[in-house]
Amino acid sequence: MAKYTKMAYGSAEEMVFGHAKEPVSYGFGIKVGAGRVIPELNYGPRPGSEATPEKLRKEYVDYISKDVLNRCVTLGFPDVQLETEWISQMGDPKMATPVVEGQKAICEKYYEEYGLNCAVRQTIPDQREAEEGYRPGMGGKHSYPEHLFQCAEVACENGADVLSCETLGGKELGDYATTNGDIVAFLFGIGYLGSIDMEYVWKQFVDIAKKNKVIAGGDTNCSGANTSMFMAGGMLDQDVQRTYSAVTRAISAARTLVAWEQGASGPDKDCGYEGPICKAIAGKPCAQEGKNCQCAHADLQGNLMAQVCDLWSNESIEYHPEFGGTSVQCWMGSLGYEVALMNTAIQTGKQKDLRDLYMITDRERGPEGHILAYDNAYKIGEAIVSEGNNYYLRAKAAGLTAAKLIKDHNDSKELQLTRKQREVLDSIIKDLEALPDDEDKFFEYCCKKYADVPNFNLKNYGL
Amino acid sequence: MIDYSKVDFSKILKRYDVEGQNEMTPESVAKAMLPKDPVLYKVAECVLYMKFKDVGPATAEALKTKDALDIINNGLVVGMECVAKLYAEHIYYLPEIMMAAKTMEIGIALAEKQIPGGRTTKGTVVMHAAEGDPHDIGKNIAAVMMRSSGYTVVDMGKDVAVDDVVAKVKEIKPFMVTGTALMTTTMTAFPRAAAKLVAAGINIPFMAAGGAVNRDFSESFDLGIYSEKAPQTPPIADKILEGYDWRKIREEWDHIVGE
Repeated sequence: MAKYTKMAYGSAEEMVFGHAKEPVSYGFGIKVGAGRVIPELNYGPRPGSEATPEKLRKEYVDYISKDVLNRCVTLGFPDVQLETEWISQMGDPKMATPVVEGQKAICEKYYEEYGLNCAVRQTIPDQREAEEGYRPGMGGKHSYPEHLFQCAEVACENGADVLSCETLGGKELGDYATTNGDIVAFLFGIGYLGSIDMEYVWKQFVDIAKKNKVIAGGDTNCSGANTSMFMAGGMLDQDVQRTYSAVTRAISAARTLVAWEQGASGPDKDCGYEGPICKAIAGKPCAQEGKNCQCAHADLQGNLMAQVCDLWSNESIEYHPEFGGTSVQCWMGSLGYEVALMNTAIQTGKQKDLRDLYMITDRERGPEGHILAYDNAYKIGEAIVSEGNNYYLRAKAAGLTAAKLIKDHNDSKELQLTRKQREVLDSIIKDLEALPDDEDKFFEYCCKKYADVPNFNLKNYGL
Repeated sequence: MIDYSKVDFSKILKRYDVEGQNEMTPESVAKAMLPKDPVLYKVAECVLYMKFKDVGPATAEALKTKDALDIINNGLVVGMECVAKLYAEHIYYLPEIMMAAKTMEIGIALAEKQIPGGRTTKGTVVMHAAEGDPHDIGKNIAAVMMRSSGYTVVDMGKDVAVDDVVAKVKEIKPFMVTGTALMTTTMTAFPRAAAKLVAAGINIPFMAAGGAVNRDFSESFDLGIYSEKAPQTPPIADKILEGYDWRKIREEWDHIVGE
């Protein structure tokens, strides 16, 4: 499949929330990236609901979905996308099928009864383990790779509107990299091997989705860049330095993009904070999360992430009662009103003003948000497409560009860094600049250097 | 783009990380803690500065004049205690902990060979990530911290079935078992495993931790105790060795992790 070698947008300024170059329509009246932002509500069932298929169906359909759709009607929201991130037990089709069928049916009911535009994203679980093998036929006792593609079939055959996944390729090296502060290991694991895994997995997901007339949405590097972002944590945490986390985010964009190169049409996944970079390159709609996902994540770019989103998400909330209704209803209200503000800005021609206000509030809050500000995200996108045909070189270019943007803006006193953050940043630039331009040499170097990383196995990547 | 050149960001946000950064250096903190004996100092210094290529030769040199246990307890472990102090003071961070621990383990492995029957650790803990849960980075970090604090860790890995956990505990007879989970639907394995341990007459604390787990859940079943962050695991383990059972750990949890 062709790789991206040029930008979808002529400039960063063209990008705005609610508009994508390649809008997508699906479900019951949902149009993403076609002129208005759609709220996307994600949830987790209560512990114990996984006991039987019927209990799980009831939890997801009769309680969670119904509550959300009712609250949309109560508050006058015109659109909603539900997202079901499958729990591990849904790897069993007996558990998953009634949920997928039931959610489709209840969406149809609300669309017909109230005219509520709605759809369901089914996000299947990637339970593959590096030690057992990432590819079918590697003999792992759980057969997780086989189950991964079976889940895609079950979702698409039984009523998914959008198919997504948070794939784990490269995680064994990503975890090692982040706990040891080793950016080259991250580049090798996530940027290079992770992209190879994405190509393998998403080619098949797209085929399965197309066969069933389902939208293949996209992925996220939740297992890599989000791991480093959450370990970097808040202002006073920093088990991992936020300069490291910011560079991993840029690298992850080169990986997440692969799903779209393999034919997925978007929207990608909400927790992929690399979305602004990917959207700048591909022009496909992206789901994002930030200020209205505080139920799940406390990140440092809560407003900024809304700047160019097409779906706006709460990430996830466990189903439970709150004073204002059930938790999913409360967060539906929070999301829905924020989206109404964005759509009002579009209707009044003020969308770029609101985009900029969102972006400016968090631009200086830390390096992670700084590189995702749409002007900087665009520059990282340009770096990726300049080496678009080579997974290694484009991921390296993304990381190096992000690192240098942070350095330059720290030098010019636009962005503050702690001494430690700067020390780590300088070390990252040095490490990335020292790498060869030749993919084979890089591969050889990394295979030797990381040979002892637990569960690192080239066979997982067909190599 | 809106012109934000005149924006006073101090009216919008506060960079607590920049304003509150620690002025101390590793040298200033370690000065008072490192051993005075020059041979042991050299070994401890290797751990402090994560010199994993130098720690082998330094340990071998020390073994010519020092007892192996002396080198471990008063050299390598003291170096790691300095690292823990620097971590607590936000001078060192997780990557330094991981590299220093790796350095210490190289030295310990070398010194241990000189101890007949091997080294006795403070105790053995069984650690795992819940069945169906592929996320084990938190467990791995806690395991490093436990080893660095002088414990033997039997690491069962991730996605471990309840019955396998129970069987391993019966086999190893640890003083504590830990489980981590990132998902609310996988953490339900912990009370099931704990119930089976109770039924087998095993009365050891079962530490339930991880992103999905909270203190209420951990303390909702017999044996269950909580750890919010990996660095809290060793001090809780120390209290168990002092004789605290799971009920007393719960009662004094705030005090223990606040120490």
